[in-house]
Amino acid sequence: MKRYFGPIKKQHTTHYILSSVIVAVTSLLCAPLANTQNYHVVSFILLFVVSILATFMGTGPVLLASTLSAIFWNFFFIPPHYTFHIEKTEDILIFGLFFIIALVNGVLTTRVRKQKKLVRDRERRTNALFQLTKELSKASGIDEVLTVAIREIKNNFQVDSFFILQNGENILNDTGRLQKEKKLLLAERHVAEWVFNHAQKAGAFTPNTMGLDFTIFPLSGTRISPGVVAVKLNNEFAEDQKSYWDTFLVQISNALEREFLGEMAQRVRFLDESDRLYKTLFNSISHELRIPVATIMGASDSMLNSENSENMQQALSNEIFTASLRLNRLIENLLNISRLESGHISARLDWYDINDLVNKAADDLKEELKPFTLKIEVQDDMPLVKTDFGLIEQVLYNLLINSTQYAPPASEIILSVGYSSGTMELEVTDNGPGFPENELKNVFKKFFRVDGSKTGGLGLGLSIAKGFVEAHGGSIAIENRQSGGARFTIRIPTETPDIKNLQEQEQ
Amino acid sequence: MKEDETILVIDDEKQIRRLLEITLTANGYKVILSANGKEGLVDAATQHPSLILLDLGLPDTDGQEILKKLRDWFYKPVIILSVRDSEEEIIKALDNGANDFLTKPFRTGELLARIRVALRSGNDTPNTSEMTFGSLTIDLVSHVARKNNEILKLTATEFSLLLLLAKNSGRVLTHQYILKEVWGYGYIKQTQYLRVFVAQLRKKIEDNPSKPGLLITESGIGYRFGD
Repeated sequence: MKRYFGPIKKQHTTHYILSSVIVAVTSLLCAPLANTQNYHVVSFILLFVVSILATFMGTGPVLLASTLSAIFWNFFFIPPHYTFHIEKTEDILIFGLFFIIALVNGVLTTRVRKQKKLVRDRERRTNALFQLTKELSKASGIDEVLTVAIREIKNNFQVDSFFILQNGENILNDTGRLQKEKKLLLAERHVAEWVFNHAQKAGAFTPNTMGLDFTIFPLSGTRISPGVVAVKLNNEFAEDQKSYWDTFLVQISNALEREFLGEMAQRVRFLDESDRLYKTLFNSISHELRIPVATIMGASDSMLNSENSENMQQALSNEIFTASLRLNRLIENLLNISRLESGHISARLDWYDINDLVNKAADDLKEELKPFTLKIEVQDDMPLVKTDFGLIEQVLYNLLINSTQYAPPASEIILSVGYSSGTMELEVTDNGPGFPENELKNVFKKFFRVDGSKTGGLGLGLSIAKGFVEAHGGSIAIENRQSGGARFTIRIPTETPDIKNLQEQEQ
Repeated sequence: MKEDETILVIDDEKQIRRLLEITLTANGYKVILSANGKEGLVDAATQHPSLILLDLGLPDTDGQEILKKLRDWFYKPVIILSVRDSEEEIIKALDNGANDFLTKPFRTGELLARIRVALRSGNDTPNTSEMTFGSLTIDLVSHVARKNNEILKLTATEFSLLLLLAKNSGRVLTHQYILKEVWGYGYIKQTQYLRVFVAQLRKKIEDNPSKPGLLITESGIGYRFGD
């Protein structure tokens, strides 16, 4: 019952006045029937009016209208007129029935109407919640979830909201993810922390106002508390709105929790991955360092401590020199990979003659290339290209050295360069065994070594090459040739200069 | 001639100083060693070295600053020692007046060659009317270059480029420097001009233009002309 009588006091007084007036006017219009025998008809007319009123007025005005119409009918229409006295027994009966019908009719109609409104409201809220859930599940990342949440709260509750989230270690972090436009005062931050720690709302319209003019609600997921949300309300939530709001917050909290857990899982995966990399790195570095160091130590030691022929001295010095080249290459690779990892690689583009670049790479590898035939094929009308000399030189160096490690002695290594429609294409082809087909996709991964590969190395060279090519916005691919051996193809988008200008310059 | 050549080494790494001392002494130079910038400046002023090997990565002062201070009064050659991957540093040092550079780790043969070139250019400016590099001769009087005694058809720009490089043979010249000297100040960013003309010049002066032996590229820095 409370549900029906609860809101009576809130009804507009105008409805009361209006219903009284309408009943009075109807009675007045029916006045000509007062002296006829048809005064019973008036009761039907009044009942009809009350039913009409019930379709758009609250319970209170309808009750008033039924009471008034009963009184008017009795007073003006039931003989004797202008008294509340009723002569005939049947009229007493009809009057009683009239009063009851008016009441029940009026109340039932308003009730149906109210229920309809409730159903409509519920439908609207269900839709809104559905919409919220849909949007939240589409959002990926905490920022997107927050954007959706703020927008939907604004749409459904007409209030601005500010989310303050924890930092992943259960500490409320008001600087990181708090929306830019809102800065928290120290006192407000304390309240926010209190709300977060006690999982209870505080601020305006709560038992703990704490001197705030806005309200802070805790967000609680099933496993972690993502943070709190502050809203500035104009009125306290009505009873039914309150549960709607709570459901809203639960959806948002769950979405945030999902993102938090996702982030945590990712962090754990990342740590695992870097732990694995760290171990591989140290294992292979110590191995790769030890071999040349052992060579240098051994060779120099025998140079120092034993009588050697001049030939022997020469051979030992050669070993030391080769070992130090290898050490130097290792250091270069480590430096390059750490530059790539730290994201400090950006191609510094300038105009270069690709012949210079190719020659430099071949020249740096003179010793290593001695057992092979290096064939350099540069397209005849190769234009100047805009590229980063150092990076591409390193790429070619790494690809060539890779070939020297796998190709059989005396075989041919081909380095070819061409240019067509905005793209420079570099190819390194060898006659080695190629790569196992199922490993092709791993070739450019860090620390990847083909199983049973005989030569040393960290497995960094090709992944450095890939990184440097990508720093140019280019791509690198590997394939096994039909005739055996591997072919690396690099494609780099590059500009070519306007040579005409230069020739004009010359004249 | 070598006996009176004194080389000052300014490097904070003891092992590098020792290696340089051994190598340089074995090749007939007198060597003074300084472990830091301050000492180096004092030694340069009091010991009158004929050449300075300066490490750019010094612990007490920036090598570039030492170089600038040196260049206020020290007119003899300075060769920079630097770590790899610091092209900008090298270019800056060359702009600050260094004569040449070597990246660590370097081969001692390379170091000795650079020292010889630097000392030679520091001592005598060529006073001849003709320069010869293998089969290439440049006649400074009639502004003509010959390859195997045949006159090369060089454009004016090609010839000034060749002349600039040849006059500084053995020394590295930065892109900017060459562009400024040959084309003028407004062109110091136009590296494509330089590339095109270097390629053209190579076709005319080199025995094998795709494997240049005279006009050598110093990656990311500039060119060096040598025989």
